[in-house]
Amino acid sequence: MKPRFELFRSTIILITLFWLGLFVLAPHVMVLITSVLSPDPNNLAVWPLNLNSYVNLWDSLYLNVFLDSLYLSLLATGICLLLGYPFAFILSRFSPLLRSILLFMMVVPFWTNSLIRTYAIKLLMGKKGLFNDVLLGVGIIDEPLQILYTEFAVIFGLVYILFPFMVLPLISSFDKLDRSLLEAARDLGANGWHRFWRIIVPLTSPGIIAGCLIVFLPAMGMFYVADLLGGAKNILLGNLIKNQFLVVRDWPFGSALSVSLIVLMALLLWFYFKANQYIQRKGGLDDDTLK
Amino acid sequence: MKLRSLLVPVLLACSVTAQAAEKLVFYNWSEYLPEGVLEQFTKETGIEVDYTTFESNEVMYSKLKLQKGKGYDVVVPSTYYIAKMRAEGLLQPLDKSKLSGLKNLNPALLDKPYDPENQYSVPYMWGSTGIGINTEALAKGSITRWADLWDAKWKNKLLLTDDVREVFHMALKINGHSANTTNPDEIRQAYEKLQQLMPNVLVFNSDAPREPYMAGDVDLGMIWNGEVIMAQEEMPDLDYIYPKEGAIFWVDSFAIPAGSTNVEAAHKFINFMLRPDIAKLCSEEIGYATPNLKGYELLDENVRSNKIIFPDADTVANGEFQTDVGDALKLYNDYWEKLKTGK
Repeated sequence: MKPRFELFRSTIILITLFWLGLFVLAPHVMVLITSVLSPDPNNLAVWPLNLNSYVNLWDSLYLNVFLDSLYLSLLATGICLLLGYPFAFILSRFSPLLRSILLFMMVVPFWTNSLIRTYAIKLLMGKKGLFNDVLLGVGIIDEPLQILYTEFAVIFGLVYILFPFMVLPLISSFDKLDRSLLEAARDLGANGWHRFWRIIVPLTSPGIIAGCLIVFLPAMGMFYVADLLGGAKNILLGNLIKNQFLVVRDWPFGSALSVSLIVLMALLLWFYFKANQYIQRKGGLDDDTLK
Repeated sequence: MKLRSLLVPVLLACSVTAQAAEKLVFYNWSEYLPEGVLEQFTKETGIEVDYTTFESNEVMYSKLKLQKGKGYDVVVPSTYYIAKMRAEGLLQPLDKSKLSGLKNLNPALLDKPYDPENQYSVPYMWGSTGIGINTEALAKGSITRWADLWDAKWKNKLLLTDDVREVFHMALKINGHSANTTNPDEIRQAYEKLQQLMPNVLVFNSDAPREPYMAGDVDLGMIWNGEVIMAQEEMPDLDYIYPKEGAIFWVDSFAIPAGSTNVEAAHKFINFMLRPDIAKLCSEEIGYATPNLKGYELLDENVRSNKIIFPDADTVANGEFQTDVGDALKLYNDYWEKLKTGK
């Protein structure tokens, strides 16, 4: 039995490695190599090697694009956290069965493609859409509001699409929250604010960090939300990369932009890792609590 | 065992493709072909058509360039991309002996500088970009020129197409320059002009510019004439204006990529599309003008006299057809990015 299991295991591992190598590592290496080649209108990218594309990144135009993307993503992440934290807390208070049902209901809409849901939001927000119809109907406004194609619409779309990614890690953190610690704190005279700030927040911080990262990173790249709901008025990192590949055909520069986004992601993950380590040391808690 | 069981269907699939009588991959603009046309072609010739679509010349070009002209049998680039792709060896010359329908075409749209003697391309449809206006909300006569869009009262109200060449066309025309200029000073002046327009823009849309008009989100802006025709079925108040400075005209043409593996079928397909009854159907359903004179004659009188679809000669002469701007495209695009980031 045992040798067969070994064989099975190494086969599975090999297949996984092969898969990751072919579809994750190889494309990324190709992107990395392309980013140090020179652009050429006829052959996409040619020798010699150089770092011009990375120098171009520091053009104020692209820094502005980066700052715009950063601003939208941070705002969306912040709102997701503000809404998601109490949401996850309340959910974690329910019985396991009820909680599963509620979580299931939250996740069901997300089985539909996010692009389709974005189009649906577009219909709801239009001048003749449901939002305006209701507001007009109950007499809060006299003429339709311009909701669609505004920054509000973009943020709304991002928050809506990414909300579950914030809630799920938070719920798992709340799950692991040891209630006896809270009782102990109460016995020792800590008031509500202290219990929240000194115990609940630190113990759920891995969930907060994980949730923020999982929301923030996709938000940086979701250009179609800004295109559809914001009216394509802003260029975000995602648009910029797409344009470099399709319109300008400066593949090295497009690749350099992608690489810089990957580096940013890596930095944030490193930060996540370090923060976890710090929390572990500080709290003296076992690994299990922090997963 | 596992591997072999996987291989069998793969090999089967390969042999099936090799044996299939004839097939054809047709790569067309989205919303640019009436339903049923492909089925009719397959019924008449037995050739299967694999149909895929694109939203911009750039996407179509990038795919062909990347695959060195392989993978597709018939594509539909706009004029200025025909010139570019021909020069880069991405297209193959047409065998005119197989295109008996060529004689149906309007000579005024043939033998143009982008493709002398139409060695590589056959016009499919032509159309224009002008001003769209919801006449229920705004008086039609109040807007006659591109420059009217610059009026401060349209703050946050306008739709522009999400197309760098078309948007620059407006400003270049207002400044009295050619819309196909490669002169850096003229492009910069156009950029400065467009900076003043940006506060008025509510939305950029090149997927289906008619939709924001129909949804009531915009009442004024740029639009393609065929989109107006399509929208009018549901929204008769949507009207189209040929601006005084000159509209943007384009021709989209059939061409066969250099790497096509079904050249025979591709010619049959193009010839099928040149048939008067098919050309008539396309023009009727899609709302753009057909270059097919025989097909034009089959159209209803009210379609033929519709100035939105078939503008008079003066309007066409006043406008400008898009041509390739070569390396200047990068300059246009740099300014475009600056416009959109607002810096």
